[in-house]
Amino acid sequence: MSAQVTLVGAAAVPCGRIQSPRDAAIQSLEHETLARCVIDALRDAGLPKESIGALVFSHPRPYTQQRYFGTFMANYLRIKADGLLMEVLGNGMTGGLAFDQAAQAVASGRADVALALGVNFETGTPSAEHMNLSMRATGDLDFHVPFGFTPIAWYAMDAVRYMHEFGATRRELAAVAVKSRRHAALNPLAQFRKPISVEDVLAQRPIVEPLGLYEVPPMSDGAACLVLAREEVAKSLGRPYLALKGRGFHHEGAHQISEVPNDMIALGSAQRAGRAAYAEAGLSADDVDVAELYAPCTIIEVLVAEALQLVPRGRGAAAAASGETALGGRIPVNTSGGLISRGHPPYVTPLYSLVELAEQLRHRAGERQVKDARIGITSCELGNYNAALVHVLEARV
Amino acid sequence: MTLPIVRVAGKRPYPPRVSEFTQTFWNGLAEGRFLGTRCAACAKASFPPKPFCPHCWSDRIEWIALAPRGTVYSSTVMHAVPSFFRHEVPYRVGIVDLDDGIRIATRVLNVEQGFGVGARADIVVLQYEDGPLFAARVTA
Repeated sequence: MSAQVTLVGAAAVPCGRIQSPRDAAIQSLEHETLARCVIDALRDAGLPKESIGALVFSHPRPYTQQRYFGTFMANYLRIKADGLLMEVLGNGMTGGLAFDQAAQAVASGRADVALALGVNFETGTPSAEHMNLSMRATGDLDFHVPFGFTPIAWYAMDAVRYMHEFGATRRELAAVAVKSRRHAALNPLAQFRKPISVEDVLAQRPIVEPLGLYEVPPMSDGAACLVLAREEVAKSLGRPYLALKGRGFHHEGAHQISEVPNDMIALGSAQRAGRAAYAEAGLSADDVDVAELYAPCTIIEVLVAEALQLVPRGRGAAAAASGETALGGRIPVNTSGGLISRGHPPYVTPLYSLVELAEQLRHRAGERQVKDARIGITSCELGNYNAALVHVLEARV
Repeated sequence: MTLPIVRVAGKRPYPPRVSEFTQTFWNGLAEGRFLGTRCAACAKASFPPKPFCPHCWSDRIEWIALAPRGTVYSSTVMHAVPSFFRHEVPYRVGIVDLDDGIRIATRVLNVEQGFGVGARADIVVLQYEDGPLFAARVTA
């Protein structure tokens, strides 16, 4: 019998440029930034550091100079652990895996309290140089990379295919960015908060056609810490918390693409992971009040919302344009502003999604609060959603 | 039938590594042939070529000529690129479904308007000064 896992505390720093240029005399340092999040998250939970039994870190970017970052942090914060201390890595899914492993540590009884945490510093590196590294993550190094693909090139091809199959328009896709920016304007953790129009989005320089600057993710630094606990612990704290109700995972056995043709824009892994998470939670998409989806480009928010059955297939872009997925709409998606406006510090981005759900489901999201939010869903991925990890959480008082 | 050859000035921006096994593919490409592997046990073809079958894990594989013609599934034009590729901007990459049921990702040439979805394309050799790559060239 596994223990009920809960989320009792969360803290993050605003996404943006934190990392110093390499030659700066005074450097901002990853561990100083993350330590602040850990202290804030424990304070938010109302737990002492001695309660911590497990720590699962997102493995930092290669730009982080400190090696063996997790064990270094245990020393820096002087945390002892009987359950587990590890770093995890899984491309864009990394932060989600940290949460998933921390949840496992609690569910299995190895820890009563577990942290899922991480810091991502990358903005000190110019993007064209950064892409020399990131391109090697997308596809086969010898049979795909030599053609010059980048991670978001695949999402651009999703957009082209989606418009071709479903007749969605550029304006409808752009509406996703406008909507997310409107949400970000209300989020103090967001990197870009100035409202934009559909015309602004369409007027940006092309990055990967048809997507322009406002439809792709920025480079971001960030840090976040989540506090997970057994439900007995959560109840003893006397404050609102979230219960982890369902979890689903699927890897389709393809890395970006396989030679076997599939329906690329169905995001089959997200469909399967979503079904598994709903089934375990005993819930359906109709029960979801708020969704924080890992969507590096406008098109991906559309496709994931469809794959998780939050909107009908082929209607996701139109749903964004009509306000259905905006705050105040039928199913608010990415109330944080999402990856494009809230910011995208890749290895910790899924932790930020959970920070947003923690705010929404504890009714602390201020002006962007989804009224009476009770059920939240979050997803993260790697590749072109070749793998997906989905969690469903419920508000408890 | 050998593949059309398109000469490209300069070296490949990020040349592929060649192994004892994959040199059959790259040497074949340099001679105008587009090869994959097929499993003698389950008859499924695979690409990139592999010394075993990814489907049934049999190691009874044989080299075959893949259909050098297919249909564009999707494409994009790259503007923000790794610095290795900066001198080639803008360039188009895409996904092409070959007529024998194999899906590949590669450079796409000759798309005159839109994104070329559904257009027919031939596989060509991109003959750089230091060796070959391949591409799909949309036919008029």
